[in-house]
Amino acid sequence: GQEFQFGPCQVEGVVLQELWEAFQAMKDIVQAQDNITSVQLLRKEVLQNVSEAESCYLIHALLEFYLNTVFKNYHHKAVEFRILKSFSTLANNFIVIMSKLQPSQEKEMFSVRESARRRFLLFQRAFKQLDREAAVTKAFGEVDILLTWMENFYQ
Amino acid sequence: VSCVSGGLPKPTNITFLSINMKNILQWNPPQGLQGVEVTYSVQYFIYGQKKWLNKSECRDISRTYCDLSAETSDYERQYYAKAKAIWGTNCSKWAETGRFYPFLETQIGPPEVALTADEKSISIVLTAPKKWKKNPEESSISLEQIYSNLKYNVSIHNTKSNRTWSQCVTNQTLVFGWLEPDTLYCVLVESFVPGPPRLVQPSEKQCVSTLKDQTSTLKVK
Repeated sequence: GQEFQFGPCQVEGVVLQELWEAFQAMKDIVQAQDNITSVQLLRKEVLQNVSEAESCYLIHALLEFYLNTVFKNYHHKAVEFRILKSFSTLANNFIVIMSKLQPSQEKEMFSVRESARRRFLLFQRAFKQLDREAAVTKAFGEVDILLTWMENFYQ
Repeated sequence: VSCVSGGLPKPTNITFLSINMKNILQWNPPQGLQGVEVTYSVQYFIYGQKKWLNKSECRDISRTYCDLSAETSDYERQYYAKAKAIWGTNCSKWAETGRFYPFLETQIGPPEVALTADEKSISIVLTAPKKWKKNPEESSISLEQIYSNLKYNVSIHNTKSNRTWSQCVTNQTLVFGWLEPDTLYCVLVESFVPGPPRLVQPSEKQCVSTLKDQTSTLKVK
């Protein structure tokens, strides 16, 4: 079957098509709630030209943030908008991917780790500049941008 | 020209029709205005940017579509578009699309298909569809360069036995062997990109006959 290969980090057992279908089922509802169209959190500077070596650090940081901040604070809306099934599919698959990522902590990887951290901080800073609820809604609406980037590492 | 906003009902069903990154904004006229000569104006917005932009070629138009391919050609970006109806000094509120992501939403057109038949096999050569381009002089970009995971669903139908079988391939040349001589086969091909579900455009059906079995003709002699 297919697997993710984020540089040295390999993740099996996740069917990316299921994540796409889950998000597709929510896309219109979720993105319609995002009224701050002048801000994009996952901008090109965050995700473009990410090296293989960086990718494991960056996906780990992004998924950790999505699980601990975005999904956690969007759950009540998923219930309200009756999209809990699709929401749970995404969340559970993100948990599986996270659990299998083991970014190396070796010293020689410091500069690569820092580069990935700077990218993540661009995203997190933009997130923090918005009202909390609006930022959570926007981040959740940008999961298609995240999945598009993740697709590059799916083979 | 300023007008009284909200004096007319909005256009309805405003969406992007996108094929090979040719992105056409289309809508239905407002309800209840049959026979009234309504015109429309269009604006578009690049997600993450600051303001709505006019599409000058689609100001006060009477048609219900507007080609925004040039304005939305950076397929990695996301966009919104909107249209409003105008009649005299009255105009509707804007009718707006959802967020449009060309990279994920464009329909992938069929490849070009070339068939060559032998006695018991048919060779198929596929040429990936091309991205929309502003003017013919521009060099073509194959959608294969944009979608590295572009695949093709090739189905072949034996018109004598009425049997069909298909194959999903990534390469552009394939040979169907073990066929019956002197038989008409018809081929259909769809382009396919893993990712969110997309509308599919199959190719035109193309048919070719396998050659007569040379060994049997020699025996007859």
